Amino acid sequence: MRIFISGGCKNGKSTYAQKLAKHQHNSPLYYVATMSSVDSEDDERIIRHKQERAGWGFLTIEQPRNIIEILDKCDPSGSFLLDSLTALLANEMFTPSGKVDEHASERIAYQLSDVLHKIQNIVIVSDYIYSDAMLYDPLTEAYRKSLAYLDRLAAKCCDVVLEAAYTQIIVHKGDHIGEMI
Amino acid sequence: MILIFGGVYQGKLEYAIGRFGLTEEDITLCADENATCPTGRKVIGDIEKWILALIKDDKNVLEETEQFINKNRDTIVICTDISCGIVPIDPIMRKWREEVGKFLGLLATNSDEVIRLYCGIPTILKQGI
Repeated sequence: MRIFISGGCKNGKSTYAQKLAKHQHNSPLYYVATMSSVDSEDDERIIRHKQERAGWGFLTIEQPRNIIEILDKCDPSGSFLLDSLTALLANEMFTPSGKVDEHASERIAYQLSDVLHKIQNIVIVSDYIYSDAMLYDPLTEAYRKSLAYLDRLAAKCCDVVLEAAYTQIIVHKGDHIGEMI
Repeated sequence: MILIFGGVYQGKLEYAIGRFGLTEEDITLCADENATCPTGRKVIGDIEKWILALIKDDKNVLEETEQFINKNRDTIVICTDISCGIVPIDPIMRKWREEVGKFLGLLATNSDEVIRLYCGIPTILKQGI
């Protein structure tokens, strides 16, 4: 099953997504790690995430860019947890050289469509960053717009679309989720 | 009145266009420099920007919004929900956040139908008064 889950921060999305991924039947079970560490705070977060995942039976694939490569690195008939679109877009859009790639979201959209076409069991995590009272600089606004575009694309391609709201899960699409949890 | 709300870029306008078969002439989008009460179109979008314009012009927001509702009983109103982030440091942005929240409550009460968009997917929260 293809499942998309988003919501605000600290809503329990990642933990819930792990449970959903674990309930998919096909093996191997891959964790597609998208975070690319830039400082000690990131290092700590990555360590925390790894500890949370320990014992779940995930094979971790480091894929901070070029998500399409998971099709070569992994067995596409396995089950995947992609956490998160947010980090993937940040890595592709804001390059280490300091340049901003304005075409990042189109490239990811193209690659993600292919991934979602070839992989049947995947849980995709994103972040809901669209309801705050701020007028952002053009760059931040372009990032929000790009992530929303990828979210809508993923939601369209997925069988199930969920929103995490503080331990509660709202089902926006797909009614067969009940069997899984 | 029909209210469509949701976060920014969630497909609110696209949903309205698709559902009601609208063309460009049917739609007006508000700007935060124009405090004139929008009316006369099938769809009024980005209504939260009009609220910001009212605040910047030091207008009485409650009076203006009540007038807006009276003038737009048969309108589809689209509003971005800006209520879920950090409280802004800037006092104007802070006021904006609160006034849009109050306005959305007023709109929802006066609407025959209320729809929330999430990732392009509508959820009907209210149907029929």
